[in-house]
Amino acid sequence: MTSQLGNEPTAIIGAGPAGLTAALELGKLGHEGVVYEADEMVGGISRSVVFQGCRLDIGGHRFFTKVPEVEALWHEILGHDLLVRRRMSRIFYRDKFFDYPLRPVNALRGLGLIEAARVMASFLHVQLFPIADESTFDAWVSNRFGRRLFEIFFKTYTEKVWGMPCSEISASWAAQRIMNLDLVTAIKNAFLGGGTRNGEVVTSLIEQFFYPRLGPGMMWERCRDLAASHGIATHLRSRVVRVHHDTRRVNAVEVEGPDGERRLEPCSSLISTMPIGSLVCAMDPAAPQEVRDAATSLRYRDFLIVGLIVERSQLFPDNWIYVHSPEVRVGRVQSFKNWSPEMVSDDSQSFIGLEYFVNVDDDLWSMSDDELIALGASEAQTIGLFNTDEVISGIVVRQPKAYPVYDAEYEGHLQVLRDWLAGFPNLYSVGRNGQHRYNNQDHSMLAGLFAARNVTGMNFDPWSINEDLSFHEEVRRDEVEERRVIDRLTPTRAEVGIAGLLQKAFARYDAVALGGAVGITASIGLAVITLAMLVVSDKSFVPMLSLLGNYLFGYGVSWPGLAIGVIEAGLLGYVFGWVTAVLINLLIRGFERDLERRLAILTTLEALDGGSFERK
Amino acid sequence: MSESDQQLVLVARTIARLRAGIVAVVSAMVTGFGLFAATLWLVIKGGPTVGQNLGLLRAYFPGYSVTWGGSLIGFAYGALTGAVLGWSVASLYNLLVRWRSNEK
Repeated sequence: MTSQLGNEPTAIIGAGPAGLTAALELGKLGHEGVVYEADEMVGGISRSVVFQGCRLDIGGHRFFTKVPEVEALWHEILGHDLLVRRRMSRIFYRDKFFDYPLRPVNALRGLGLIEAARVMASFLHVQLFPIADESTFDAWVSNRFGRRLFEIFFKTYTEKVWGMPCSEISASWAAQRIMNLDLVTAIKNAFLGGGTRNGEVVTSLIEQFFYPRLGPGMMWERCRDLAASHGIATHLRSRVVRVHHDTRRVNAVEVEGPDGERRLEPCSSLISTMPIGSLVCAMDPAAPQEVRDAATSLRYRDFLIVGLIVERSQLFPDNWIYVHSPEVRVGRVQSFKNWSPEMVSDDSQSFIGLEYFVNVDDDLWSMSDDELIALGASEAQTIGLFNTDEVISGIVVRQPKAYPVYDAEYEGHLQVLRDWLAGFPNLYSVGRNGQHRYNNQDHSMLAGLFAARNVTGMNFDPWSINEDLSFHEEVRRDEVEERRVIDRLTPTRAEVGIAGLLQKAFARYDAVALGGAVGITASIGLAVITLAMLVVSDKSFVPMLSLLGNYLFGYGVSWPGLAIGVIEAGLLGYVFGWVTAVLINLLIRGFERDLERRLAILTTLEALDGGSFERK
Repeated sequence: MSESDQQLVLVARTIARLRAGIVAVVSAMVTGFGLFAATLWLVIKGGPTVGQNLGLLRAYFPGYSVTWGGSLIGFAYGALTGAVLGWSVASLYNLLVRWRSNEK
């Protein structure tokens, strides 16, 4: 197969927000282009799935942006079909609903007095004894909110979304997501409103947003039509399976159509929104091995949603509910009617979406649709939303690669891919998966706009679009201004280096400290039990206690005996603790020496084998 | 000094911390089961005066006695005492370690 360079159109892979925005912009700028979409509908992850007259939004897309150009584009595309909606969301935990963002009075009422006391005690405890190693998400949050509040409002949901224990999530994610908030600041803000302890301005979570009358898919169906009116067609069920290049420029894409036939489509430029790793793997001639290795190393979190039509006109007032309760696997519940009344055709019914955050190799992913619908209905009943017999029908939508995962290595892999793709000046990889960034759709759209303009000779860098983090989370404005990279944040796995593991495994006990701790405890303990005998009327234990005088010379159940006993118990305790620590340290040293000996053997064997072994 | 040697020195200088919660739980289990077993042993052994000395603990643990039921009450008291002692030792140890490392 050959291709020719000339006035071929720009090929756009993917009819999601980035791809269709690029298409519309290209059309407006008078350039030719063609969009290839593998799915049978447009919108990508922002599509609206129609089911028995109801519309399902995959994940719930709030239209809110700080980019005026994007907001103008939304209005241009949808006009009066873009509704303004109020936000309402709550957290469900232990059969109770809590306002989100959290409000202290509401939270206290929901938790009850005893639980609230435990929360406060736990908070005071971390203030007195903060966790020294703050490198993980659980430690970071616990140090600021207390362990109890962390367990109630952070732990289960975070673990549901990211599929890893909070003890393995890097603290930097929490630090960026939650920024400068802690329990004191949160309570102060809630009662007094406004700023933080340091007087910095905190932007509140948005309370309203735009939403298309028929869901986000409406935006992209309209955008496709507008692009078509400018001469940019969108081909559905057309999967790009190969990208041909001459090592300097992309010159054609190989497309597999609805009939399974493959055809070569020459192109002058390529705007790709497919996952950047898949793009690199599709390049022909193939990328070098190390680049392909990097391409296959990027990880994603997948997502599935169970849509249920329920025979009830109103289930709850929220747009969505975060389900923190650990007894169910569902992470979030949407009521699409509350996003837009027209998402449900029959007013006597409701359409809800139960969202499960999964990986494609999870058991949930491979369950049949019927099983998932039954599970969704049963879990909805468990959390008290409705009864299973109220469910009329259901649908399951699986969305692979919904969230790019920022693991410890992703930046390195992504840089390898970017560096290699930079060798093709007529290729632009944009969008959430195209850039492996946890973008909101407005940023994907902006990247699409930039890519389209670059095709026409302008010079924008889609990788350096600013992100105002106040889109969804509470942040300091000065930090927002400083940020250059768009990242709606995803967690990274906390790094535990070998040296760190060794330090934990072979850390020595402080003999003086252990001696002191045991000594003080023994001293206070003896004082307490002796004082008790001195003040209470039941003296039956006095003879037994006095037997301690055999070991603590001069001790007796009397005030002078107490004074002597306390000092001696302290000294004896100190010696006991000190000896214990020294013995433990000797054993640890023995294990350490054994490890060193094994490492030495390994090093020698490696050297004999002709390789090298670097001890790290 | 090579980097790996420096790391070994660092390892050698690292001071372990005690997890107060875990020490408290372990200590609670040891003392709780200890008193439970000691009580039960005397009850099973029987005799004219069962647990004459151990029974004196009721001076500190109201309701405790050397009987079947008392063994359960003893377990609760023992566990509570052990937890307080364990937690105190571990917390004091960590405090002292922190204080000493700052001092150094």
